[in-house]
Amino acid sequence: MTLLPPMLKGWTITLQLFFMTLVIALPLGVLAGIARISRFKPLAWFMEFYVWLLRGTPLLLQLLFIYFGMMAVGLRMERFSAALLAFVLNYTAYLAEIFRSGIQSIDQGQYEAADVLGLNYRQTMSKIILPQVFKRVLPPIGNEVINLVKDSALIYILAISELLRVAESAVMRDGTFIPFIVAAVFYLVMTAVVQQFFKWVEFRFSYYR
Amino acid sequence: MMYMLQALDIHKHFNHLEVLKGVSLQVAKGEVISIIGPSGSGKSTFLRCLNRLETIDRGFIEIEGEVMAENDAHGRARYRDEKDIARLRRKMGMVFQNFNLFPHKSVIQNLTLAPALVQQAEQPAAEAYARELLEKVGLSHKAERYPFELSGGQQQRVAIARALAMNPDILCFDEPTSALDPELTGEVLRVIRDLALEHRTMIVVTHEIGFAREVSDRVIFMDDGLIVEQGSPEAVLGNPQQERTRSFLSSVLSAW
Repeated sequence: MTLLPPMLKGWTITLQLFFMTLVIALPLGVLAGIARISRFKPLAWFMEFYVWLLRGTPLLLQLLFIYFGMMAVGLRMERFSAALLAFVLNYTAYLAEIFRSGIQSIDQGQYEAADVLGLNYRQTMSKIILPQVFKRVLPPIGNEVINLVKDSALIYILAISELLRVAESAVMRDGTFIPFIVAAVFYLVMTAVVQQFFKWVEFRFSYYR
Repeated sequence: MMYMLQALDIHKHFNHLEVLKGVSLQVAKGEVISIIGPSGSGKSTFLRCLNRLETIDRGFIEIEGEVMAENDAHGRARYRDEKDIARLRRKMGMVFQNFNLFPHKSVIQNLTLAPALVQQAEQPAAEAYARELLEKVGLSHKAERYPFELSGGQQQRVAIARALAMNPDILCFDEPTSALDPELTGEVLRVIRDLALEHRTMIVVTHEIGFAREVSDRVIFMDDGLIVEQGSPEAVLGNPQQERTRSFLSSVLSAW
């Protein structure tokens, strides 16, 4: 079996992109979601434009645009860094929309109760609103995370040797279909882990309604 | 004499609707005031204006001798800086119609959160005081429960204890029993009555005429953004002078 070692190597690239995107885009998504409904209108408008732009174009186009765009303006960016940048920008937009709707779904009475008890805006958000938002947005966030597992294959276009690209070159080289099946199993295992993880987190949050 | 709270000539509109058309109220220390009136009369809005849950368009508000809002030269209400307002608002507690407990916090955490965050109370002290207050509202055995595990009446009693945990000088109730099933209103009204017996300063917006008669020092009847009539419960509820008060009371009481 000469197939597994290169595929495992490709898989680690996929995992790197996955985790780094999540670690950066999740907190950015929270901030962007709050900014999206800011009372400071220019900020809210900018975020609305940002979300429209990043959700309104294919991620594949964004990948190419950032990589070749950077080159065009004379900034040499490593391919993986360009891919990560595109993913973070794209996922922040989607996550921002999820957090925005989550924040807006919290009853106005929660703000008023915090307000009359003397909590300031920061305390209200961090202690009262966001903890409830996190519980509510878990299902849509789970969807996005599963999408991220599969979207990671798109960086293939920048000739980065992630899982799918490794599989494809093996198919071409060996004339067998099996590497695609192996790749599919890898993706299925990853999404299964994500799914179980979210099931567990949702259970952990089920102590209140 | 210094009033606990003075609100003079309060005006408030939402869009094109004038909700308060010049309402004034002076509350003495230890006084228990009930505000009654048909829905849409502006009574809840007026209560919410007192602690700036709603901002007023025009008028004067003073809490314990300190001005919170007053008219500028153009007759528009101007509020003091946020910092002073925050200090003044802390003198007032508020109990909402829908309880508004924090669902992700246990009962005891609902009570200790604000004292710890806002008054920098030590956790053990805040918790001991919280348990004392739960005892008072008859819920010490529910301290570790979450709001969803409690009945509406129990939740509202927790909300009252949560307001008390901040040691407010004035307690405001915004229709505290309106969201409750009839069989649960009694337990909440009993807690409020006990507070009245302690001579706490309280303003209660309510639909419970019998309760208003029993606990209030003064009953205010509001209609269409104005105070129509006020006085002792015997006077306003027993012998109303205004036609509008009479027709309101007969419509509410005939429902029984």
